[in-house]
Amino acid sequence: MEGAELAGKILSTWLTLVLGFILLPSVFGVSLGISEIYMKILVKTLEWATIRIEKGAPKELTLKNSASVGIIQRDESPMEKGLSGLRGRDFELSDVFYFSKKGLEAIVEDEVTQRFSSEELVSWNLLTRTNVNFHYISLRLTMVWVLGVIVRYCVLLPLRVTLAFIGISLLVIGTTLVGQLPDSSLKNWLSELVHLTCCRICVRALSGTIHYHNKQYRPQKGGICVANHTSPIDVLILTTDGCYAMVGQVHGGLMGIIQRAMVKACPHVWFERSEMKDRHLVTKRLKEHIADKKKLPILIFPEGTCINNTSVMMFKKGSFEIGGTIHPVAIKYNPQFGDAFWNSSKYNMVSYLLRMMTSWAIVCDVWYMPPMTREVGEDAVQFANRVKSAIARQGGLTELPWDGGLKRAKVKDTFKEEQQKNYSKMIVGNGSLN
Amino acid sequence: MGAAHSASEEVRELEGKTGFSSDQIEQLHRRFKQLSGDQPTIRKENFNNVPDLELNPIRSKIVRAFFDNRNLRKGPSGLADEINFEDFLTIMSYFRPIDTTMGEEQVELSRKEKLRFLFHMYDSDSDGRITLEEYRNVVEELLSGNPHIEKESARSIADGAMMEAASVCVGQMEPDQVYEGITFEDFLKIWQGIDIETKMHVRFLNMETMALCH
Repeated sequence: MEGAELAGKILSTWLTLVLGFILLPSVFGVSLGISEIYMKILVKTLEWATIRIEKGAPKELTLKNSASVGIIQRDESPMEKGLSGLRGRDFELSDVFYFSKKGLEAIVEDEVTQRFSSEELVSWNLLTRTNVNFHYISLRLTMVWVLGVIVRYCVLLPLRVTLAFIGISLLVIGTTLVGQLPDSSLKNWLSELVHLTCCRICVRALSGTIHYHNKQYRPQKGGICVANHTSPIDVLILTTDGCYAMVGQVHGGLMGIIQRAMVKACPHVWFERSEMKDRHLVTKRLKEHIADKKKLPILIFPEGTCINNTSVMMFKKGSFEIGGTIHPVAIKYNPQFGDAFWNSSKYNMVSYLLRMMTSWAIVCDVWYMPPMTREVGEDAVQFANRVKSAIARQGGLTELPWDGGLKRAKVKDTFKEEQQKNYSKMIVGNGSLN
Repeated sequence: MGAAHSASEEVRELEGKTGFSSDQIEQLHRRFKQLSGDQPTIRKENFNNVPDLELNPIRSKIVRAFFDNRNLRKGPSGLADEINFEDFLTIMSYFRPIDTTMGEEQVELSRKEKLRFLFHMYDSDSDGRITLEEYRNVVEELLSGNPHIEKESARSIADGAMMEAASVCVGQMEPDQVYEGITFEDFLKIWQGIDIETKMHVRFLNMETMALCH
């Protein structure tokens, strides 16, 4: 039948194009420059759109320059300063002023919960999902937006889904095949090739543009690589430039298949859910892994959960107790082209992937940093904080001492008591009791 | 899409009642929805989701203040079970900076409102007086959690402060005169001439709406 023949022809030309322009170059790690051209066009379009919005908007709508704009101006002065001034005596009714003000500031805007929702953009990037107060500006802008939707959903999405499918199947098949070989340097070389190729394909499936900085500090074998966590894509981004041994829980379903296949080709460290609770077991296995200098560096995300890429939260000290050299890596996404943050309470994995594949692109910078080791007299927590500051500084993120686990849990009582201890020290310590 | 002004009538009403600008109201509304989990009202439990608040020693008093009928202007005493957005804004408006361009009478009124809010925080049984017990209660809360301060020290701090307050308000007392508690007038007397404006306000930024993205 003619219709079926035509469809068949289209499909085969489509696949050949994909093979030629995307798959083969991925094997050799070569880029044909198509994505660069795409990005240039995209940037020009978005700039044009921003100018239209500025022009078309009535006088009150002006664009502000800061990204995370708060609604209140917080008084960051320390407790002593805030409480003094009104005091003549040791304890004043006024102290309640200070605390109620602080309390209200916390209620209006709290630093922590902000981090668990996507960053607000200053200018619209033609994705409706990033626009809450869309005012109709001009016909042309709407036309461009409609065009954008068509391009994203009808052209880019099928392409990306195809690529992702090919990438994952290649990964599973490739690693299973390589796993059959006996242990040898050939096996390692092949498994690296398979991993890298499939990761590159998957990154192109997301139209990812990644800039790696300071490649000379790329994590070495026998070390631990530590990075800030924004989404599951972080793994993809890092493995495109080098092979890592991953650490994590065994999952079921598609993830489980991928995990089982990968571990055949090279030694990743997967834990059963029950084993994760036993910290000593985890530490022991990781120590064994890095002791073997021939094994790939371990990749760990010490925050423990996805943060929205505007800040770095508390690093859990477990990863820093293992010993060995830590190679910090900072990952910063450019929110202009697509929001990479995975809000796991809002979206499940599939809808998240769909959102990723219908964004314009994923653009990010990866900075490799010089290795750090624990100094004498430094305990794990201090070391963790040191590494965290370095990553935050490099990536241009703010630093928060809070635990990412607050997404789901409550503040520990010990923190509350700290604050109260500080306050009571001031009252009792400085003056005499009346 | 569009129609950001569908509820503009309500917004204007709220603007008039509470003094916030329409942009600030919109921002606060988003925060309200975040706290309430998209419900139309907030209950006490919803404040448990604010980690920053956990560190505050008088957290329970602050949360209580949100539901206090006296602050909500709904009655002389008692606590509401839940508050809607208008109540939320009413409480927030106590913390707006005093507009010094208004007449002296208005400034004085705003100041009194703020002090009254604070008075209500201390006077938990709504009888119009801060008794020694209530004062002690506040001091204990502020100092709780420190294992080095025993209850006795907290008490003596409270007693001392109460005596000071009494001397300001009543002057010299007869040996067996009992000071019943700080009334609101006494409270005002204590604060006469002292500038509380900077201590009890939260600077709400002037938000300009833009194509503000999610």
